[in-house]
Amino acid sequence: MSFGFQLVHARPSRIRALFLSWLLFTLGLGLYFYSSQRRHHENPEDRVMPTVSQMVHGMTAATLKPAEDDDAALPDNASLRQRFFASMLWTDTVATSRRFLYSILLLIPAVVLGLHMGLFPYVGVFFLRFVLFFDKIIALSVLPILFIAFGIDELSKIMLIVIGVTPTIILDTFNLTRGVPGEQVVKAFTLGASDFDVAYRVVLRQIAPRVLNSIRLNLKAVMLFLFAGEMIASTNGLAYRIALLRRHMGMDVIIPYVLWVALLLFLVDLAMRVVNRKLHPWFQES
Amino acid sequence: MALIEIENLCVAYGTPPRQILSNINLSIEEGEFVCLLGQTGCGKSTLLKLVLGAEMPASGRILIDGVEHDQPDRTRGYVPQKYSLFPDKTVLDNITFGPEVAEFNLFTRLSPRYFGRRRQLRLEALSYIRRMGLHEEDAGKYPHQLSGGMQQRVAIAQALITGPRILLMDEAFSALDPGTRKDIQRLIRQLWRDTGITVIFVTHNTQEALDLGSRVLVLAEEMPDRGAEIAMDLLIPQPCHKDQLPKLIDRLEHASGSVREPEEVVMATA
Repeated sequence: MSFGFQLVHARPSRIRALFLSWLLFTLGLGLYFYSSQRRHHENPEDRVMPTVSQMVHGMTAATLKPAEDDDAALPDNASLRQRFFASMLWTDTVATSRRFLYSILLLIPAVVLGLHMGLFPYVGVFFLRFVLFFDKIIALSVLPILFIAFGIDELSKIMLIVIGVTPTIILDTFNLTRGVPGEQVVKAFTLGASDFDVAYRVVLRQIAPRVLNSIRLNLKAVMLFLFAGEMIASTNGLAYRIALLRRHMGMDVIIPYVLWVALLLFLVDLAMRVVNRKLHPWFQES
Repeated sequence: MALIEIENLCVAYGTPPRQILSNINLSIEEGEFVCLLGQTGCGKSTLLKLVLGAEMPASGRILIDGVEHDQPDRTRGYVPQKYSLFPDKTVLDNITFGPEVAEFNLFTRLSPRYFGRRRQLRLEALSYIRRMGLHEEDAGKYPHQLSGGMQQRVAIAQALITGPRILLMDEAFSALDPGTRKDIQRLIRQLWRDTGITVIFVTHNTQEALDLGSRVLVLAEEMPDRGAEIAMDLLIPQPCHKDQLPKLIDRLEHASGSVREPEEVVMATA
């Protein structure tokens, strides 16, 4: 057996797979802490690479104290729970999550449009060229126009996500719908199904797991546009805070914030995969 | 009046138009089991889809019980070779899909009658599952958990439960192994005898056409690029004796060749 063949057909044991999959994390952390210690040894005032204790201190403050620009006043004897729900991290997370949820909800009409474009040729030819063009517009390049047209409130940030992500979802759904075998549609009609039944009880149900996957894979793009909007024009939110702390070189909070965002996105992704598996057992098994 | 009347049917596709079917005239009586035989690409499936209403002819017309239909409906059941079942539905849900879309809409689903009637439909579907030679335990399985033969049995049940007058089968058993194919051939033949339904069955297998059909139509192209015509219309003697088969097979296979002699057109009667 050649070495190349062995490499392609290797089956790492569970222990080896576990070791290898965590190796880069461990190396990265080790390298960071080593560099951080060295920098602090040379300059105790270094703010570029905070130590673990500095980050713990910064995050404790972020999770138990309101932001400096927050007007909410807490009594001195406030409980830990009250402190947490008034904290900078919580209020920022809630603000970003709300915008994120609105953006995801706005993808539902995109799915419906893609479904109808794929199923009904006249709807398809009416919208397809326009959506293809719309898809090529760099969303961030229209940000100034959005701020001028919709102001710097929530609407402009949501519109940024709409322009950035919905064309992709529309086109994905359109292609998935076109991928449903014609025999299935004909069969449904022979069984007495109406147009509505074919669209929502046959085609949508078949493409639903793939559409959910498509949305899941676009979560990062949604967050990217949301962060761009928050960083430029916002008074709260995770990205706003990161941009604000950058001015003060607050790396002791920025780094945990970045990790917190990654963790949130990872959890949303995981939740969507679990929901998809539960809702569509036939898709996971096939 | 015949159940299916096909008059001067022509079909052409593409630019410039390529003739697929040319001047097809045909009558099919209620209760016939018609096998459409011909080489790959000769237009058998196209003719089936025209009867189904899934495609429209360039000229000519198709009458079902004296009425022209411009789209598929419940009068004609359909069993294709692949993708005959909805992958997101269990066997039971696949079979009850037809009756449910016909009886219930968004509002009637809220009525108290709904659950009782749904239970009845499920019992009826279970009886179809048994009739197709499947086990009740298969009712909860998804199509991908079934073998090809089992899937086609479910597809037949799914088509029959709505009570169509015509069953259209497009190479429905082509992907099955010989043993399974024989079993399902016996099943469909039995169902045809029991229900008296009219069947149009597309196949490229001469033996299969003779085993199943009460009548075999051979589609073949007389001249290149002129489109296929009915090269032979053969009523199969019932019962068909084994010693008759080789001669019939020879005649059918000769007729389904790319060029045919005019004198070979035969109308045999039982």
